[in-house]
Amino acid sequence: MTPLVLALPVALLAGAWLGAWLDRLVPVLWGRPAQGPFGPLRDGAALLARPTATTEAPDRLTRWLAPGTYLALAAVGLSVIPMAPGLAPLDSSVGIVVWGACEALTVIAVFLHGWSPNAPFPLIGAYRYVAIGLPVMLPSMFVLIAAALPAESLSLVQVVEAQREVWNVLRQPMGLPLFLLVGLTLTLRGPFDFADGADIAGGTSGQESGPGRALWQLARLTMLTAFSAMAATAFLGGPLGPGLPGPAWLALKTAAVMAVTVGLGHTVARTTPSQMLHPLWVGALPLSFLHLALAGWVAL
Amino acid sequence: MAVRLFHRMAARSAPAVFVCIGPRMQALVEGLFARAQSRRMESPAGAAILLVAGDIPRRAAVALDRIHDQIPPPRETVHWDGCDDPMTELLAAWARLMAGESGEPDRLPDDPPNPWKGHGDHGQGGEGMMGGVPYGRPMAMTGEDPRDGLKLDAYTMRVGPFAPMLPPGLVLELTLQGDLIASARVTEAPFPQPEDANAPRACAARLLRLLGLGPQADRLLRGTAPRSLNAVRALPVGLGAAGTGGDARTRLRGWLEGKPAEGPPPDIPRLLEGREWHEAVVLLNSWPPDTIRQAAEAAR
Repeated sequence: MTPLVLALPVALLAGAWLGAWLDRLVPVLWGRPAQGPFGPLRDGAALLARPTATTEAPDRLTRWLAPGTYLALAAVGLSVIPMAPGLAPLDSSVGIVVWGACEALTVIAVFLHGWSPNAPFPLIGAYRYVAIGLPVMLPSMFVLIAAALPAESLSLVQVVEAQREVWNVLRQPMGLPLFLLVGLTLTLRGPFDFADGADIAGGTSGQESGPGRALWQLARLTMLTAFSAMAATAFLGGPLGPGLPGPAWLALKTAAVMAVTVGLGHTVARTTPSQMLHPLWVGALPLSFLHLALAGWVAL
Repeated sequence: MAVRLFHRMAARSAPAVFVCIGPRMQALVEGLFARAQSRRMESPAGAAILLVAGDIPRRAAVALDRIHDQIPPPRETVHWDGCDDPMTELLAAWARLMAGESGEPDRLPDDPPNPWKGHGDHGQGGEGMMGGVPYGRPMAMTGEDPRDGLKLDAYTMRVGPFAPMLPPGLVLELTLQGDLIASARVTEAPFPQPEDANAPRACAARLLRLLGLGPQADRLLRGTAPRSLNAVRALPVGLGAAGTGGDARTRLRGWLEGKPAEGPPPDIPRLLEGREWHEAVVLLNSWPPDTIRQAAEAAR
């Protein structure tokens, strides 16, 4: 562990703020009035000023455990990502595996969130998310293993070092698009927001208000930050770049991935869950196998 | 100082409103939220202000009171008859609530519908291991599953008359197995709405919102075509096929081109039975509200 760990909360909060601002900026494309950088802070203050709603016989433990877990997973996921060449807050030799575990456990956090209010629509959102989450997390593993192949290491520091000559996004062109599907799912966005959709009146968040809702939204945004940083590290060379210091490059690339993720979330329509399962199992999964095979062949 | 700044910031956020739509008010409400800087929340729990649009018929009075009480206190009610702009009143109510004023008390007694104390050896309230109505709450019982043969627990719930994903006034009594509708009964038909609610644009905007494209739906309501990569293709082929009227996809495509939907009203119970919830909601919104009202009157 390095003193860089102290930078994690700052990075998570700054990323959450940027994500929330992008969420309010992208609808400008469809004629909504633009919001300044204080928009997210105002909305956050309004949430905190409201009381926490209660339902009949909720599961009080999981009500706070769910957003807490989600937030912790984002923090752990971000902690293994190198912020400068050779320097990660937690320099794990199996960073990719740590991130993979955080991804998989997100499904549990979202499920608990839908379980806790003891109400039908949140529970439908919870089950539906598990059904979609599983086939999305599987390709993610293959995509990340492919990203580790050129480095011959599961350490993210090595994955970055291996991209000094050429970034993975060029070496493995299918990797980043497939990983973006994972990002949309991990952060409950647009076409993959089967947990909190409009058809189930806000789903797992539908019975929430006040600080509880604020914490859940914060957790979603920190996960967006961690995901974007991970995508920037695995495919865009992370902190590598000329001129600017490493952390600045990582921040810029993270912001770029974040903008693309938020943009896709607002542009792509969500289909029905049953129609979504088909392309995930029959399309994305075999494609990720093929991607891994090609990446292996190139690395050899 | 910090507290005052916090309250000032909260007050400058957009008011969080839950709307109960009465007869003749649907298109006016949808237009209001497409233009105005206020947020239409998907559930009462997330809102602070109840907007009562129009004269709510007597049959929905208890439901209105229940929704009022589900908004966590402090809360306020704003009535709107559709004549002048309600934004001034909404903003004033929001400012009062964010300044910490106490708001309205509950309209109904805050007692559980049945006491959490029942008969039986351990006060468990019910009889036997399964089924029955312990504590006055019906237990889920396994039933035949029309989808894949899994015998899931079935439970019965009533949705409406102010559920945001259904036409205002429609009340459905549904028996669900997970997210699957095992049986459906129409108990109340939607409130009558004038032609503006059946306009192609209004109908298309409702579907877009369900598909996760809220800002684009607003853009459409303000009079400009939406920009989505896959809005029409997000609807499964053949879903809601109705003879000459085509399927939901054809109807959405027509609406986006400004053509009204044709075809006879569907048989609502037969339409919904065996459907997954998301599909069911898309289906009910893939006909104009007036057609659904005729269908509901026939099925009641």
